[in-house]
Amino acid sequence: MLEIGSLVDGKYKILNKVGQGGMSVVYLAMNEKANKQWAVKEVRKDGVLDFESVKQGLVAETDILKKLNHPNLPSIIDVIDTDESFIIIMDYIQGNSLNNALEEFGAQPQENVIEWAKQLCDVLGYLHSRQPAIIYRDMKPANIMLKPDGNVTLIDFGTAREFKEKNLADTTCLGTVGYAAPEQFGGMGQTDARTDIYCLGATLYHLVTGMNPCEPPYEIKPIREINPALSSGLERIIQKCTQRDPNDRYQSAAELMYALEHYNEIDDIYRKKQKNKLVKFLIPTILTFVFAGVSIWGYMSAENKKKENYDYILANASKESDYYEAIVTDPTRTDAYLGTDDHEGLIKFLINDGELTSEENGTLSKLRGGLDDINLSGYSTTVKVLDELEKADKKGYSRVCYEIGEAYLFYYNVSVEKDKYAAAATWFQYAEADYPIAKMYCDISTCLQNIAKYSKAGQLAKLNEEYGNLWEQITSLNDNALNNFSNDTEGLDLKLRVWNEIINMIRNNAKELCEVSSQNKVLNLINGISDNSSKITNAFLQESINSLKSNIDETVKKVNSIKKREG
Amino acid sequence: MNFIVSGNTDIGLTKSTNQDSLSIKVINTKQGRMVLAVLCDGMGGLDKGEVASASVIRAFDNWAKNDLPALCEAPIEDPIIRSQWENIITEQNNKIKAYGGGLGIKLGTTVTAMLLTQTRYYIINVGDTRAYELYNGIRQITNDQTFVAREVALGNMTEEQALTDERRSVLLQCVGASDEVYPDMFFGDIKENAVYMLCCDGFRHEISPEEIYERFHPDKLLDEHKMNQASLELIELNKQRQERDNITVALIRTF
Repeated sequence: MLEIGSLVDGKYKILNKVGQGGMSVVYLAMNEKANKQWAVKEVRKDGVLDFESVKQGLVAETDILKKLNHPNLPSIIDVIDTDESFIIIMDYIQGNSLNNALEEFGAQPQENVIEWAKQLCDVLGYLHSRQPAIIYRDMKPANIMLKPDGNVTLIDFGTAREFKEKNLADTTCLGTVGYAAPEQFGGMGQTDARTDIYCLGATLYHLVTGMNPCEPPYEIKPIREINPALSSGLERIIQKCTQRDPNDRYQSAAELMYALEHYNEIDDIYRKKQKNKLVKFLIPTILTFVFAGVSIWGYMSAENKKKENYDYILANASKESDYYEAIVTDPTRTDAYLGTDDHEGLIKFLINDGELTSEENGTLSKLRGGLDDINLSGYSTTVKVLDELEKADKKGYSRVCYEIGEAYLFYYNVSVEKDKYAAAATWFQYAEADYPIAKMYCDISTCLQNIAKYSKAGQLAKLNEEYGNLWEQITSLNDNALNNFSNDTEGLDLKLRVWNEIINMIRNNAKELCEVSSQNKVLNLINGISDNSSKITNAFLQESINSLKSNIDETVKKVNSIKKREG
Repeated sequence: MNFIVSGNTDIGLTKSTNQDSLSIKVINTKQGRMVLAVLCDGMGGLDKGEVASASVIRAFDNWAKNDLPALCEAPIEDPIIRSQWENIITEQNNKIKAYGGGLGIKLGTTVTAMLLTQTRYYIINVGDTRAYELYNGIRQITNDQTFVAREVALGNMTEEQALTDERRSVLLQCVGASDEVYPDMFFGDIKENAVYMLCCDGFRHEISPEEIYERFHPDKLLDEHKMNQASLELIELNKQRQERDNITVALIRTF
């Protein structure tokens, strides 16, 4: 027994007795030279029956402890072996054991307990990761010191060994062995890291509820049965720590640490919050889809209605304005222009009478500028119907432009050829991409414009060049007509019209064309057309063929007259 | 109601000390004869278990000497016994704890104390010493406060497993080693021509209740000599069956 005031090892002055363990007494000592406080643990040799074996254990234990370095563990700095006793000098941990805190204040605040639990878990993880692993085996509030700064330190590595060596045949009392895990009683497998997990769980239970699991009713109930205000996350953690079967517990301190760090995430309240968040997210999401569905449905029915209206208007169209109305109703469809199987379109309607009048030209050119649409509230807006058609249906747009261009080319009621071509070209230019022939018409139109321009200005050289161009255009137009047009009635009709156009062109410019090529070539071209047209034996087209033939005859005469004059 | 009493103890085969303590007193009071029997099974390192058990025995003896006469001035009510005995246990718990703390050791004791008045029995129990009533069969009055008994009660273990489990000697609590002691109390009416028995765990590990009933049948225990004889026979039987613990039994025959 060290005396108060005595000097140990010439350095440590014993100030006070601060604790007593199973076979040891702990004193507070002062190193007067360094003016630092230490704890001195004395194991008395006379107090222990078989000191040698105890000492062996102590030496082994202190050897282990000396190597440890962790903020939540006291470090051993010296071991002194004297005749009467075995003395260990270690850090003096200021503060109170959690056991005292429990006695004084009862259950501890949950936040503190979780903070302590993390630190203890850290210590256990550190101990378990030593080689060989150190199993503490005696986690209980009495062995945890609460320092003034709020951190905890694990003390007393002696009793763990003491319990391990206990002869279990003797009657023992649960209160003396701490929160022994089931396997610590023997017969249930070896103690390992999971034993410490159990004891830590029991310690947390005691701290957070104030109920000692070693007192009646000797069980670890879900903590919220004792205090409903506690976290369900912590409840789950404690329940998992204190499972009877080690395999059902957290398998390592790291696993427990993770759970402790996320305890509020396995909390019911947290889960509820997350659920609420999910609901809050899902409702707008679902509504988005619902509204999208409604608008799609609305759009579809509007489109449907539009189609119905369009079809109705078109089916009952009897005058020009009806077609325009249909076009405004749905500018993206081509039916009103081109007609359907049941009903002819605007273009057919306009040329039915065999000509395209200048009034009809006026309304057609309005298509380009936009049609007026009067909505339900009476406001009128201009709808650029052709632009919309182009956006919605490129091919359809080309086709419409081409057919209108053809209508101009073949039916436009103007006397001057170049004006007709100019009008047609304004439409053909939009169809160039899809209809090569449209390009030719455009080129012819350009030629005619230039010819008019140059002849006015008297620029003969350029005029000649343009006639040359015109000749080329005409011949290639003829080739195209021969090669590309189909042989059904419609294609043949078109072919005849093109030939007619070519013949007209030659007749109107016979002299100049003969000059830029040669009379023979011109006649050859005409003869070719004549031959090809006479091969056509279609009853429907007989009239057109006949008129073409007379046209050809006149043109041949005209060309020959040139020849005669020249001759 | 009259009583014949006997008490026997044996150190057993292996222990160096007998840590069991036993006291049986027949007391003459204003309310007629009464019997106070106390049986403690001490435990602890450094062979100090007997200090704990003896301390508790003395405390009950003092109670019989100092407090019981006063109680007998009026009809005895159950709650008074309950509160006075619980006080004894708490007091003893603190005392033994302080004693152990001073020596740096942990020691403790179980206790089963029984007071038989002319009409009632009063039993207080901490730990795994037991009280039985033998009358048309054998009935265990107390419940063990042991780890295995709780496991059986919780359904984690069968009675048979409990008998051989390594943890059968682990007490849930005992006087002197627990922070708080929560004793069980059992009250009831006593029967005429019955035998009341207190025993430590060493007495009953190796022999069955049926064997106890056969030897301690009230019809066979007609005088103190026969009671001692029967007790010693069973203690011997225990030792033949290699019981290692101290063995103690107390008998009270009513007539």
